[in-house]
Amino acid sequence: MSGVDKHRQKVLIVDDSEMNRNILSEMLGDEYDIIEAENGAEAVNILRKESVNISLVLLDIVMPVMDGYGVLAVMNSRHWIDDVPVIMISADNSVSSMRRAYELGITEFISRPFDALIVRHRVVNTIMLYAKQKRLVGMVADQIYEKEKDSSLMINILSHIVEFRNGESGMHVLNVQMLTEILLRQLVRQTDKYNISKADISLIGKASSLHDIGKISVPDHILNKPGRLTPEEFEIMKNHSVAGASMLEELTLYQDEPLVKIAYQICRWHHERYDGRGYPDGLKGEEIPISAQIVALADVYDALTSERVYKKAFSHEKSMEMIMNGECGCFNPILLECLQSASEAIEKVKAHNSDENEKQRENLALELMQYEELSASEETLRLLDYERMKNDFFASVSNELHFEYTVSPSMVSLYPNNSNMLELNELIAYPMDDERLTSIISMDELKELGLLLKHTSPDSPVVSYNCKARLNNEIHNINIICRSVWNSRSEFCGAIGKAADLGIA
Amino acid sequence: MTLKECYAALEGDYESVLSRLMTEKLVQKFALKFLDDASFNNLVKNMSESKWDDAFRDAHTLKGVCQNLSFTKLFSSSSTMTEALRDGNTEEAAKILSQVKADYEQTVSAIRELAV
Repeated sequence: MSGVDKHRQKVLIVDDSEMNRNILSEMLGDEYDIIEAENGAEAVNILRKESVNISLVLLDIVMPVMDGYGVLAVMNSRHWIDDVPVIMISADNSVSSMRRAYELGITEFISRPFDALIVRHRVVNTIMLYAKQKRLVGMVADQIYEKEKDSSLMINILSHIVEFRNGESGMHVLNVQMLTEILLRQLVRQTDKYNISKADISLIGKASSLHDIGKISVPDHILNKPGRLTPEEFEIMKNHSVAGASMLEELTLYQDEPLVKIAYQICRWHHERYDGRGYPDGLKGEEIPISAQIVALADVYDALTSERVYKKAFSHEKSMEMIMNGECGCFNPILLECLQSASEAIEKVKAHNSDENEKQRENLALELMQYEELSASEETLRLLDYERMKNDFFASVSNELHFEYTVSPSMVSLYPNNSNMLELNELIAYPMDDERLTSIISMDELKELGLLLKHTSPDSPVVSYNCKARLNNEIHNINIICRSVWNSRSEFCGAIGKAADLGIA
Repeated sequence: MTLKECYAALEGDYESVLSRLMTEKLVQKFALKFLDDASFNNLVKNMSESKWDDAFRDAHTLKGVCQNLSFTKLFSSSSTMTEALRDGNTEEAAKILSQVKADYEQTVSAIRELAV
């Protein structure tokens, strides 16, 4: 079959009746790698490990521990449902159950009794459909990745060229870009006033790289003069903003491109001041486009913290002070707030810019975030796999117990070697009701920990809790350190943590 | 005993199951497997211990298997049993249990003949 993956597809069959699992397995024949689960919790565990490697789930409704709807709920909350098709298999054909299942995102509903040919056709069709979609999504995402890589490359090269005559590396341009993006992200967190979308942030960031192209028109002896500039020399220097803007205006073909429009704003007006005493046009307050305002601030900060022919580098703190005091230009108060709030991230910029991979990943993430349909591409999956592998490795070589907890659905997951140690399941649904867990740590102590976690906040998410645990029939003192996890709406949605054995009580 | 005779003895639908599972070999395989299926035994046990929710699931599973294998008679009684338990009608369920037991016996003795 053309266009379908060469290696065998994995199909997960979830049904509490071994007989049913066997019948379905037989009907699917030898073409697929069959994985079986006998209840919802097992199914979730398998999905957690295999995730988008599963080509299809055949899901029963009525099962102990966690039923079919429970599995669908998890698949929805973790967004596995977007990539993994689910065919519900059930004897329950009532309209209400079918509706409920469809609302939870199933692809198909097969009722009993099973007909071999029909089951096989529907399975094959569903898998092919999703495989095709996945391939297309992957192709688009890979294209974006390539485009992003190329444009980052171009910017890198460009910035080296621009900075070449200054005797500097291309770092200034890259720093300004990063600073611009950080300030923009902070700005949209603080206010809606400027109507800036994620796409805009990316665009303004890119355009900021062009802010000093006008310096090409400034003669060497002025550009690199170590002493004070004479008034005439200063005028020539100041002209770089107009020069840069003119160069962009001359791109007759591209005048309508957003990138060019924004780059024009930035080039021409990144030396304006909020109080109107800047150059070249003396724009005041909000007459200055926000893109130019932001780049102006980023430019000043980077200039202060860098060594130049005419000055040494100031520290982060000193630079912040000088800017906030109004010693180095006059800025929009909102932007000054943003500068303060993002101070920590800003300080890291110098160090980070040497890490190209980091930058690429950030850019990639920013680009992909704009397209909600692109859930995962090959590249992002690879990155994700790598992170997962790291986590699993560290958890496995640690002496402490690593765990993850989610609020909805309520469950605790442990790493395999840990769960074996304590004879607990890797995945514990409804932990408060789990007898084996509560025989190790009392329900009261679990509740107390839960309360402590709920009272944390996104800015202060870490909790350290000492309690007792029954291990091998002895009482041990244990310390649990965990960190609450918050969703995009700043709601508490879970926690990650580790428990260390402090010894026998 | 042939497969067709077996199905006659347990009052199932031979034509239906053969058309759906495609080969006699497969039908025979799963019919024999039914002897190991635990749903009926679990159902009886859970009924005696008054574990109604578990019993409901067992009845439901048993009904599903019967449907897949076209064990029409056993399907019928286990179906009624499932509905009684779904509605929480435990008295009704207890009454139906004897019918289910009888149908189950009929079914497995027919299958045992097949194994010979």
